[in-house]
Amino acid sequence: MRRFVAMLVLGLALSASTGAQAYHRFWAGCNTEAPTFMTTMTRDAAQDYANAARYEGYQWGGGCWNYDDVDSYPNDPPSEVGTHGEGGDCSGLTFKTWRESTDTTRDGRYYWRALRNVHGPYDAAAFRAGSGAPNHTVAKSTAGVMDAFASNTHIGMVFTRSLYGGDQIVEAKCEACGTNIFYRTYRSDSAYGGVGRWGWTG
Amino acid sequence: MKPAVLLLVVLVAAACGSGGRARPLLRGGSAQAFGAVRGSALTAARVLRRASLGTRLESCLLRGDRTSVPADAPVVERVGVDGESLTFADSTGSGIYACDGGLDPAGERPLPWCGRVFGERDHGRLLDPRLDVNCRDRRGRAVAYAFVEPVADARWIGVQQKGYLEVYEALAGLPVRVATAEAVEVEEARATFEITEYDAAGHELVQREIQARVAG
Repeated sequence: MRRFVAMLVLGLALSASTGAQAYHRFWAGCNTEAPTFMTTMTRDAAQDYANAARYEGYQWGGGCWNYDDVDSYPNDPPSEVGTHGEGGDCSGLTFKTWRESTDTTRDGRYYWRALRNVHGPYDAAAFRAGSGAPNHTVAKSTAGVMDAFASNTHIGMVFTRSLYGGDQIVEAKCEACGTNIFYRTYRSDSAYGGVGRWGWTG
Repeated sequence: MKPAVLLLVVLVAAACGSGGRARPLLRGGSAQAFGAVRGSALTAARVLRRASLGTRLESCLLRGDRTSVPADAPVVERVGVDGESLTFADSTGSGIYACDGGLDPAGERPLPWCGRVFGERDHGRLLDPRLDVNCRDRRGRAVAYAFVEPVADARWIGVQQKGYLEVYEALAGLPVRVATAEAVEVEEARATFEITEYDAAGHELVQREIQARVAG
């Protein structure tokens, strides 16, 4: 009996441990499947794609989420890739929404499923510089729906333009605030530049 | 002669008898060996001022960033076997820039720079290594760049390359921009750096692995 109790206690302790396994959680359900090449790439479809990622959370260096409208692992330590939580980060969300390729020389037009864990080779600063064949800088005054505003540390896409100086921006913002649509004044913020993606078909 | 320079001379001189083939540096010349490690390659490094670098630095900075870096800002220039870089801080010291050297596969940036990164500091330390996987070397291999924050008392940062250790000197209180063409996974936007750190006398302090991902 004593031995049984000891084993029971040990088993309970092991099952309750959250050490090493704690940071290998959401990504365990993500996949590496190939993207689907699409001949069309419309701004409407990009809006739908980004809109569907709302409420799915934020993960530094991430690019994997489901569609249950809940951040499975909110409030992880910021700037920590190893937490492996749900959601994209700002550049990961943009990469997937813009149907980009992991090869910077290619146009892409790849539809990445939500659970495909991919971030892409660009951080916000690279997007800001217009790096990569599919990307380019645009004048902020002309930035329209599904163009983006990028600084050295953040990028958000224009969901709708506003009449009052700001824009409704869809963005993966932070661990605490997740991915959502926010009113922002990036258009008039000198830290931000306008960025676009070539090749929209509508 | 300053103690640091004297120390370097001693370390390099000690390496002369250690054998091993000298590796060519990216911009000509051969890498000296780091005395503490047989067959190592010491990256050429120096501290300059922004104003003295002219277009070499200005061609890397975006127009919107040019006012955020003082003209007299110290800039660490490094030339290694497969990579070269510039590292400098903004006027507040809370942000670190790096210009990464190599070929831009997308053909958008002329040599020498293929990438530029910006990292935020929190309490004096970078939030993450700011990995860049968008450069290629002359052989077409992907070259990954990342920042290393030296541990306390570390003066030399060794990065394990294929068959040798490439050694970088920590300078000007800035994080050390290191490069590797090994263990780079472009498709997954990640790279692994095998790091060994040494104190000023060349004594090994710590070994660690940095698994870096493109983020933010």
